[in-house]
Amino acid sequence: MRIRDITIRAGRSLKHAKARTLLTSLAIGVGAFTIVLSLAVGAGGRQYTSDIISSNTNESALYNISIKQDDSSDSSKPKKYTDTQIANYGGYEMVLLNQSDIDKISEVNGVKSVTPYLTVSPKYVTREGQDKYQASVELFHSEVKLEYVAGNADGIENESIIIPDEYREALGFENASDAIGQKIQIYIEKGSSNPLNPEIKAFEYTIVGVNKKPTVAINGGTALQMASSNMKIINDYNLQGTSTYGTYLSASAMVEDGVSTETVKNNLNEAGYEAKTAEDLMGFIFQFIDVLQAILIGFGALAVLTSVFGIINTQYISVLERTQQIGLMKALGMRRRDVGRLFKLEAAWVGFLGGSIGSVLAVVGGTIANPAISKALNIGDVNLIIFEPSSVAMVVVGLIFVSVVSGIMPARKAAKLNPIEALRTE
Amino acid sequence: MIEVKNVTKTYGKKDNTFVALDNVSFTIPDGASVAILGKSGSGKSTLMHAISGLDKPEKGEIIIDGKNILALNQKAIDKFRSKTISFIFQSFFVQANESCYDNVSLPLEISGTATNRRKKRIEDALSAVELLDKKKSRARDLSGGQKQRLAVARAIVSNPRILFADEPTGNLDSATGEVVEDLLFGYNKDNDVTLIIVTHDPDLAKRCDIQIHIKDGKVESIEGVK
Repeated sequence: MRIRDITIRAGRSLKHAKARTLLTSLAIGVGAFTIVLSLAVGAGGRQYTSDIISSNTNESALYNISIKQDDSSDSSKPKKYTDTQIANYGGYEMVLLNQSDIDKISEVNGVKSVTPYLTVSPKYVTREGQDKYQASVELFHSEVKLEYVAGNADGIENESIIIPDEYREALGFENASDAIGQKIQIYIEKGSSNPLNPEIKAFEYTIVGVNKKPTVAINGGTALQMASSNMKIINDYNLQGTSTYGTYLSASAMVEDGVSTETVKNNLNEAGYEAKTAEDLMGFIFQFIDVLQAILIGFGALAVLTSVFGIINTQYISVLERTQQIGLMKALGMRRRDVGRLFKLEAAWVGFLGGSIGSVLAVVGGTIANPAISKALNIGDVNLIIFEPSSVAMVVVGLIFVSVVSGIMPARKAAKLNPIEALRTE
Repeated sequence: MIEVKNVTKTYGKKDNTFVALDNVSFTIPDGASVAILGKSGSGKSTLMHAISGLDKPEKGEIIIDGKNILALNQKAIDKFRSKTISFIFQSFFVQANESCYDNVSLPLEISGTATNRRKKRIEDALSAVELLDKKKSRARDLSGGQKQRLAVARAIVSNPRILFADEPTGNLDSATGEVVEDLLFGYNKDNDVTLIIVTHDPDLAKRCDIQIHIKDGKVESIEGVK
């Protein structure tokens, strides 16, 4: 018997049991829906993350450079006293870098330049005739892609600043272009001064750029941004006389052209520093997405597993119901192999139907939900659910395969049926 | 020619054995119409199953066209069933959900007949039983007599050399039964096809060339052999 004829017959007998076929397919459909959606979310998440990373990191840079700590993870043992500066963040200790570390890092083979990581929390920012606002000031990174409403980063080195659009509005500029060239004051508290009567000094900067709230930036965009030279002045004023003066949480380094970041990372390691390449940063986030996706797919797989029993059960009932038909076909000379195929192909049809129903629902649902999700998470015009036709097709093919496998046992029962027994009329 | 030689078939094991066929031998010439007569439980159905390759007796030979079908492997038997023989059953066994056309198409699909050659043969078979106008009707919508005629169409579409009919009129009233009988005997005479009818109806048996009486698994008598 030809496969084509068997396939048509298989499809036809399913059509004759519409309700049963549909219900069995729906069980698989739930699995397909979950798996297709998790794959799409995974793809979207990876895309989103890689957007974030490519717009926040530079491939020839090393990040989070810090001093290597031997047993920092082992909290059960008392730690040796070291003469270094330690910052404590919610129980997590970090050895701070000082200027000699920065110098040492810049001398490491392959390092082109080192930028200490600086962040300053001013007392407030304001401008003449306006209210005072809290803010944080961060380092301007040229590799972070900012979208400007007005102006740009040109001239950022000269006592200038980039402000987010929200601050532009708060500080009373009606249009973004009005803000360009205007001055704002940043008030910094001297760290060593008496907290009850703090010494506060104003620093004045010219606005060169107004940036839009970015969709894919981790840092930058929500804070005021300044060039490293300007940052250092306010940072020093802020920390002068305190224990953390002249120390940095971490640093980033640019690598010389033609040298791989991995090599420099190893060089730094030998010099006693830890560093992360852009890939390391990515790897961590991707791993997180992968785990999340695996969990979701796990749920889908569970649904598929449940539907496997549904298929087996349905097909067994179908074999019982059609005992006479099977007997007749065998009496007419249909081969055992073909009888088995007929039932396996019926299972395949069920898998195909379920897979298609689930995938279509997932794609339709996901496409409708996409803008709503992006809006709810406030991430701008980003698609967090990305359907890849190849992965949808893979899911459908996979489910057809699973269905055929579940159909094996009932198909074998059908193939083994004795036509004489099957055709007994009593 | 069909030669049945010393065929013995037993069911069950050891103490509980039941001899369904006991050393049965006879010969059927090509193109003959044969009635296998006997009460229920006499072994007549087992005999039909043996000749059609559905059942395997442990002893004896059944030689059809010079080949002992009891010695064939499963693949060859399946081929023999789809190419050489056909069945008509008391309960029709037409597929109620399917159209008449698809019912008749089944044997051709099983034998792997090319798609483009099927249509004419199916329509010829349907018109031979005067059901061409019901081509697209579902089998469940047919009357009993029509269902059996459909079964006849399904049996003759593959141009078999031997036609088995197991109580073909058992579920039909005498008028519709006669129509089916006429179809079977007509096909038998016109195409020189061997017709083997299993029945306990003496009137039907009388229309056959040969009557083989089976009792308790043994051939009681054979009438009509020249």
